[in-house]
Amino acid sequence: MIAMYIHSASSFIGGENTDPIFLKEKLGSYTEEHFRRVNRFILLTLLGARQCVHNHALDFDTAIYLTTEHGNLGETASVLDEIYTAGSLPKPFGFINTMSNTAAFYLARNLGVRGRNIMVSSQHLSFERGLELLQVDFALGATGDALIGGVDEALLSRTTLEEQTNRVFKMVNGSGWLYVRPVKDGACGEISEIRSFSDGHACIKWMTERGKSNVDLVSFGALIDADEAAAMKKILHPLAEFDYLCDYGYSGSATACGISLFIMLFHGKTLLHINRDQRGHFAVIEVERY
Amino acid sequence: MICSLGDSLEEIVDAVRHKRIRLDRVPFTLASLPYTKPYYLIERNVTDKLHNRSEAYFYEVLFSAVSRAFLDAGLNKTEIRDMNVFFGSTSMDVPVFEGNHRKSSSTVSGTFLKSSYGYGKIAGAIVERFGIGGNCYSFATACTSSANALLYAAAMIGEGVIDRALVVGYDLFNNLGFYGFEALKSIAETDYRPFDKMRDGLILGEACGAVILEGKRRKAGDFIHLGGANLCDTYSVTSHDEEGFAVAETMNRALRQAGILPGDICAVKAHATGTENNDRTECAAMKVTFGCEMPPVTCLKPFIGHTVGACGVNELILFTESVKTGFVPSTPGFREVDDKLNLMPLTENMEAGEGIFMLNYFGFGGNCTTLIISNKGDRA
Repeated sequence: MIAMYIHSASSFIGGENTDPIFLKEKLGSYTEEHFRRVNRFILLTLLGARQCVHNHALDFDTAIYLTTEHGNLGETASVLDEIYTAGSLPKPFGFINTMSNTAAFYLARNLGVRGRNIMVSSQHLSFERGLELLQVDFALGATGDALIGGVDEALLSRTTLEEQTNRVFKMVNGSGWLYVRPVKDGACGEISEIRSFSDGHACIKWMTERGKSNVDLVSFGALIDADEAAAMKKILHPLAEFDYLCDYGYSGSATACGISLFIMLFHGKTLLHINRDQRGHFAVIEVERY
Repeated sequence: MICSLGDSLEEIVDAVRHKRIRLDRVPFTLASLPYTKPYYLIERNVTDKLHNRSEAYFYEVLFSAVSRAFLDAGLNKTEIRDMNVFFGSTSMDVPVFEGNHRKSSSTVSGTFLKSSYGYGKIAGAIVERFGIGGNCYSFATACTSSANALLYAAAMIGEGVIDRALVVGYDLFNNLGFYGFEALKSIAETDYRPFDKMRDGLILGEACGAVILEGKRRKAGDFIHLGGANLCDTYSVTSHDEEGFAVAETMNRALRQAGILPGDICAVKAHATGTENNDRTECAAMKVTFGCEMPPVTCLKPFIGHTVGACGVNELILFTESVKTGFVPSTPGFREVDDKLNLMPLTENMEAGEGIFMLNYFGFGGNCTTLIISNKGDRA
């Protein structure tokens, strides 16, 4: 696997009804740029990423990989209301901002970078898939330094998720980011494994074959049920479970937030994050915090 | 591929060869506006009329295009099961929501927030329908969405990460896009005329295209992806730097990644939306990249409309299938050179054999993507 070193991490988690004005004020701590015509999704993107690279001078060619489950959900709903309920043409910038990659654009412009600018999604495994794309770009030399994050607004409907998981979650706005480079010098951690499995058996088999390379902490995505988690913990013998979903709440980008929180909180530890989608595909990310 | 020109490649390529287009006009009924605007609509039978569409229609078009791609590529069940899905779209599941909303009395935003299952939903439906066991990647980078899906599918195959990919570009008519582009005053009145002195905007179209990518040629004449690039032009969220430097840099990086020089390009498929800014920027960028040795340029949107996020895959299909039958398409509707652009796209079909071609795509959010493809026998 191509080495992916983490040079900084951040996680912004806001309550279900976080006011965009609050987000703008908070963003003011990191940039002097005044943002007009931006919405909650864009502000979440800017805030999480700016927190992440606050103390770093970025290369002009830095790439941005924005992963999301739902994208610009709130503004898309508002624009649909303008068309269907108010019976009018939408406001131009409202329409433009329904295209969620505008968030990655505003971030690139604010940071003064013009590298790759990609937005990708994959039900429940968006952050993992984003890391896979970044890994390929590193291998090709298409990307040197990169910001990769997961951003999602709080879901107003819990029904589908709770039906899929049999769990009740606190819904939050989430924006978790990693600043990743292919060089170790100055890094605070590394992503040592990204792996996908077509089912739980294959994932369990891989864990078993890892032998003694145990991890300090494990964490699980929202769709891993209690029995699956118990079986995996039995194999991995972790010192503890980092239950970021319980501690910090759920957003579509909970994985990105969970991994960045691990980097921020657990110095000298390793984490194996295990996730799955509704098809029963599994994905693991192993992270080491120096 | 399914588009306004039909639903078989033979039919579509024949229409392109003979410059046949089919353009409808759509009213802005919801906003009670007293005029209509042109749109390239898919219409395979009477039940396809806009007001009859449903979620079932959305998936029927999608699954039909994917089935044909599998059939055309001659894939067996195991090969289908093991592939990965790369999906690109601007509207994602908004057409599904709008179709369902027509039958609902709930508030629009409330229904949308409750019924949206996320950007990954459509790729998820593809793998479920066809029993595909690989991973899904859904790209949402506005009008470059499916071009980026192609870029990454090719890169992952090239790096040996995956063996095979299904890449789908799909955008169906939706009021969000139609009313949105009208709000931007971007939609042309009657004819699609990119690069023309009298151009007056874009005309939207709907299409669903599916391509299969593998590490080896299956048939003589199959195209290969030599390289590509994606960069962000931070000039403006809606337009690109008119000097064209960021766009030119994307083209140059794609050329470098492909290991070729500008002079190796036999023809360019321009993005050519027909808007004032796009065409000016793109011309400037091509001049920076190619200097005074500009290769022949073609614009495909006048055939099927601007299919937004789906244009990456659909224009690739339109271009490659035309070249396979011996020609690079001309640009219908072009009449008069714009002195400010000083660029004349092909006005007659150009005979084509083996060669290397550049495909350009740009989108909102400053997204720029260039793909370099070849059908030369010695690059297999």
